[in-house]
Amino acid sequence: MRQTDEAGKKLDHLPDSLPQFMKEVNNRLGESPDIVWREIALGSAPAVILYMDGLGDPIDLLEAIHQDWLFFEGEGEQTPGDRYRVLKERTITMGKVGEAATFSDMMEKLLSGNSILFVDGVGSVLYAGTESLKQRGVEEATSQSVVRGPREGFTEALRENTALVRRRIQNPNLRLEQRKIGEQTNTQVAIMYIEGLCHVDVLEELRRRMDAIELDSVLESNYIEEMIQDQKYSPFPTVYNSERPDVVASALLEGRIAIFVDGTPFVLIVPALFAQFFQSSEDYYQRGDFSSLLRLLRYLCFGIALLTPSFYIGITTFHQEMLPTNLLTSLIGQREGVPFPAFVEALIMEITFEILREAGIRLPKSIGQSVSIVGTLVIGQAAVEAGLVSAGMVIVVSITAIANFALPAFNVGISARMLRFVMMGIAASFGLYGMIIGLIILGLHLSSLESMGVPYMSTFAPFSWRGQKDALLRLSQRTKKKYLRKLKS
Amino acid sequence: MIGKRILVIIMLVSVTITSGCWSRKELNELAVVMALGIDTHEDGYAVSAQVLNASETGAKQNSSSMGSLPVITYTSVGKTIPDALQRMLSMAPRALYLSHLRVLIFGEELARQGVGNTMDFISRNHELRRDFFLLVAKGGRASDILEVITPFEYIPANSLFSSILISQKRWAATGKITLQMFITELKRDGSDPVLSGVQLRGSVQQGRNVENVKKIQPDTMIQHAGLAVFKRDRLVGWLDESRSKGVNYILNRVVTTVGDIECAGGGVAAYEIHRADSTTHAHLNEKGEPEFRLEMEIEANLSAVECAMKLDSPDVITDLEKRIEDRFNTNIAKHIRYVQSEYGADVFGFGEALHRQHPKVWKKYRDNWDERFRTVQIQVNANVAIRRIGSIVQPINEEVDEP
Repeated sequence: MRQTDEAGKKLDHLPDSLPQFMKEVNNRLGESPDIVWREIALGSAPAVILYMDGLGDPIDLLEAIHQDWLFFEGEGEQTPGDRYRVLKERTITMGKVGEAATFSDMMEKLLSGNSILFVDGVGSVLYAGTESLKQRGVEEATSQSVVRGPREGFTEALRENTALVRRRIQNPNLRLEQRKIGEQTNTQVAIMYIEGLCHVDVLEELRRRMDAIELDSVLESNYIEEMIQDQKYSPFPTVYNSERPDVVASALLEGRIAIFVDGTPFVLIVPALFAQFFQSSEDYYQRGDFSSLLRLLRYLCFGIALLTPSFYIGITTFHQEMLPTNLLTSLIGQREGVPFPAFVEALIMEITFEILREAGIRLPKSIGQSVSIVGTLVIGQAAVEAGLVSAGMVIVVSITAIANFALPAFNVGISARMLRFVMMGIAASFGLYGMIIGLIILGLHLSSLESMGVPYMSTFAPFSWRGQKDALLRLSQRTKKKYLRKLKS
Repeated sequence: MIGKRILVIIMLVSVTITSGCWSRKELNELAVVMALGIDTHEDGYAVSAQVLNASETGAKQNSSSMGSLPVITYTSVGKTIPDALQRMLSMAPRALYLSHLRVLIFGEELARQGVGNTMDFISRNHELRRDFFLLVAKGGRASDILEVITPFEYIPANSLFSSILISQKRWAATGKITLQMFITELKRDGSDPVLSGVQLRGSVQQGRNVENVKKIQPDTMIQHAGLAVFKRDRLVGWLDESRSKGVNYILNRVVTTVGDIECAGGGVAAYEIHRADSTTHAHLNEKGEPEFRLEMEIEANLSAVECAMKLDSPDVITDLEKRIEDRFNTNIAKHIRYVQSEYGADVFGFGEALHRQHPKVWKKYRDNWDERFRTVQIQVNANVAIRRIGSIVQPINEEVDEP
């Protein structure tokens, strides 16, 4: 549409006559077979109902026109304009009805599933919300499953998703702003926040960044995520995502902002802080003491997933004196006959594991099972028996992998996975000394990150006592509210 | 800007890659020395190193196992200890790694000549940790001890290490003396060091053979043999079991041990000590000469009563406590006198106590303390409390009153 802006502008107003209209529409949509024309007569005036097959279903509109015919029965001749107005104001029974005066406006409505009524000689069209796209129903969320808590997950339909959140927060202050992003795809993107809870600066910043987005297409929320994140080159995610309405609702109540993108069940949440990636919605559905312990466990898991292989490499190639003697005798016996240095050994195992993992995700579910069995055998028994790797290394790699899966947010797990290899390289060349330097650099990087202008490590650095009630631990439900708002003010 | 960034990244990466992993050593490039033995030799020192045979260790025997023994002892001679260790590489396939040393054994001959010079290497070498124990091979050479195959613990050095730990804790007649402790006492003016002794029970020839450990009662075993008394860095003599215990009591190194006492009406009762504290008080007599009083606080439990006593009566217990106190007072005093007259080595640290409590007086004695120590008066004052008498009250053999 927009490439022909120059020519388009002149012709953007709708023509009066039906043949001209039909010609112009066909011109613009290229006579697609999925455009359905239903020619009718409205009194004496010829008219046409236009809709996209599959996106919309005009049965209700046709019903209304039938009503309209009954309405004017025996009232003599009316002008097409009158009938058009009566249709719009009285007889159309659908909630969503409107008028479009330009072609571009009309096209937008048509392509999102509305039915268009053109009446010869009126000069504008009626559209009615007849969307009837076949959609996946609300199903159980697969990515962040819980033992206790709501099972609903978002679907691909934007409106349904916003409704799922509204159902949880029945509050007039819940605001929704909608815009279209994507030159080609014209994807609906919505911002949701609670007026009064969410921090104004953050909201302004987000609006500014959303307005600055220049994208051809938006097919998933990550398209938006990459455009609005604070730092492009960081292994850590600064935007949270979830496919659970309860997670989004709780984030909104904490003063965060949710970004819905049509066509994906994954909703973005900003600002996202480091601590947030270690929290699960279930923390609030279980007793606080238990949840607190689980949170500590997750931080431990992050440490394990990040550092175990490098620690093992560092200790066994540089600092053997730090091992307890009995452990050394045991490890030394295992390593006997292994041809590679510990670093190469670890690299082989880690890469093997990453391959298996990637294969497991992509394979059809039925084959996935057998891959994991073969993989376990390859990683475990066979590699050790063949003398390629030591048994200790298998344990190290396994615990690393399991710890990685224990993280509640998938994207922070990816950070640990990437940095693990970096740490391994450092440990192989500089030992524990290098690892400490690496961790210091990591700490500096984390403290320098921001998410929508909020420090990433918030509640740890800058430190706040109030924030500690829901950071490392989850102490009580009440203290959870509004802490983000207090963070900056 | 971007060029600069790339340059920094390239530099950082090359630091990582080109450094060549300085001081990197893989586990299977190490010969872990578990025990070192140092003996005299006409050309300097004879050093024996008990080295871990890696392919024979580990929870599961791996395929490279040849059924050989878990340790190998290399012996070589050198002018200095590093020299001898280096010459070991003519036989050993891997670099010797000293950090996991568990025990260091001196031959008796070397100990009598003085261990000061060997101590320099041991404390100077950065690889050595400080948690290994020092021992003296009583009446023999250290290399003999390191050649014996031990039952139970498959690495002999570990066997020695853990037996010192447990015997010190439960028996109190050995000493777990680490490098740090030995050097502190060696260099301090008012004290002399002791070391624990080991000896072979049985012959070396049999002990070398693996058949030795295939018997229920092995012919040759390594046995602890009391404490070795040092004067400065020279071994001057040995203490038997009860004297060694005495020294450990005074040095506050007794955790638990067992003793016995004759009952009033004949027979014997055994007690188990579970707390023993001793403090040395230095004071000056009317002539201005130092005298010492040793206060001992001992808590004991009765563990066996083989005499006729009515243990339900508090008087009997008090009487028993009194008898044990007397026993302690005479015995400990006797042991101290023995060390004073026989060796003149202040292994108890009385000089150090004087130094701390009367620093000015100490200055007068510091240079001739060795002489003064032989004649100094020491009084022992034990205070024993019996806490528990066990699960039964009356002795099994106590005559029951017939109804």
